[in-house]
Amino acid sequence: MNGSSRAGAERYRFGHTELPEKPAKALRRAIRLEWIDLVIRVVTVVAMILVAGNSQAMKAAWIEDALSFLPPIAFLIAVRIARRRPTEAHPYGFHRSVGVAHLVAATTLLGMGGYLLIDSALGLLTAEHPPIGLIEIFGTTVWLGWLMIPTVLLTAIPPMILGRMKLKLAPVLHNKVLYADADMNKADWMTALTTAVGVFGIGIGLWWADSAAAILISFSIISDGWKNLRSAVADLMDRRATTFDAKEPHPLIDEVDELLTGIDWVEDAECRIRDEGHVFHIEAFVVPRNGRMPTLDQLAEAREACVDLDWKVQDMVIVPVEKLPEEFLPQLRSA
Amino acid sequence: MASRWAGIRRGGAAVVLLLLTGCGVSIPADPQGTLERVSGGELRVGISHQPPWTDITGSEAPSGIEVDLVEEFAGAIDAEVAWTPGGEEQLMMQLQEDQLDMIVGGFTDSSPWTSHAALTTPYVETKGLDGSTAKHVMATVMGENEFTTTLEQFLLDQDVRL
Repeated sequence: MNGSSRAGAERYRFGHTELPEKPAKALRRAIRLEWIDLVIRVVTVVAMILVAGNSQAMKAAWIEDALSFLPPIAFLIAVRIARRRPTEAHPYGFHRSVGVAHLVAATTLLGMGGYLLIDSALGLLTAEHPPIGLIEIFGTTVWLGWLMIPTVLLTAIPPMILGRMKLKLAPVLHNKVLYADADMNKADWMTALTTAVGVFGIGIGLWWADSAAAILISFSIISDGWKNLRSAVADLMDRRATTFDAKEPHPLIDEVDELLTGIDWVEDAECRIRDEGHVFHIEAFVVPRNGRMPTLDQLAEAREACVDLDWKVQDMVIVPVEKLPEEFLPQLRSA
Repeated sequence: MASRWAGIRRGGAAVVLLLLTGCGVSIPADPQGTLERVSGGELRVGISHQPPWTDITGSEAPSGIEVDLVEEFAGAIDAEVAWTPGGEEQLMMQLQEDQLDMIVGGFTDSSPWTSHAALTTPYVETKGLDGSTAKHVMATVMGENEFTTTLEQFLLDQDVRL
């Protein structure tokens, strides 16, 4: 029993950082969602194999299905590793696992979009006319298309729901893998919808319908993949921390600056913050009033106040300086 | 409420069907209009030697199980069969270049020619010498789905037994 309760407690932390209730709950839900996602993907692939049978048209979809297993798996491995406490060999902890997983998810997304684009463009260029014939099931014959359309529409529903749920959790957890994976879910259901449209198009004699529809959505998938790839690489290269969607600088940067500047013994303060994964690594430089060195208690209090701002603030150093160092704080130059 | 929705849905389905039939579109349709062209016209069939399915050794017309089936199919759509004997590879090239409408030659559903031809759904199963089952199919021109499904339906309706 003891073992299980310890495992439970371990769940609510990332390295040193104990998770408050809200992100802890979000983490538990996200892990559950990703497991559900994986199970649904397995069921989907099996259903596709059964319906598609020998048809060339749907064989390509299997490669996409196989690829789309990667982001959920990357997420589950990353949050597992990120929970480990820092060690002598890994003094910053294992938070970067999230950055690596983000890179994996982003590359997968980009690869899937690129594959879809090239495959469909080749189909159009070589004027591939997809054959969809009859199939015998339960003693009756139907056009396979009438079976494919409801099947792919059915497979569009779970990623639509799961993607939305993941999008809600991603900002709470500050998890960019989850965000990229929600984009993957979006790619999944959009692909499914266009396949349905494409198969119907083939049904009414438009051989190019499937490829044309796929090319249209491949652009959106490539754009999502590219955005995520840029963001993942930038984070791994210690870009200033951003919001979960990488759209703007993280508000915590200003909040920490403001908090420190507001302390009575502080004349001026500025920090640099990098995103380690879920949590931030913060180096804050403070100029004490009248050049008077703060006491150790005052420094500790200042750090505590910052940590209380947000659970993402934990790994933080405060350096008292005579003058804010421009070489470490390039934002001073642009300001 | 429920009955009203059902009514609307039925009405909607009827409208869609009307629109489709109104435009003269049946599903699946042929992008190149193969079925329309061969009906009452000429059905160009490639044939490669694979007895007992196809036999082109005789001095006269080809014979075999699949030859009979094709002749009957042609009769059903009021077409004349124009046979082109040849090796599989050459026939597949001709099929791809729209010089043929279909090929027979004792093909099974594990035929490797899926990038050149549309294989019909199996119309008969046989036991091979090693006890494995072979599902027999014919090859048709790619993507002419109305033509292909018409042939498939015809073959299934024959309920071929050996």
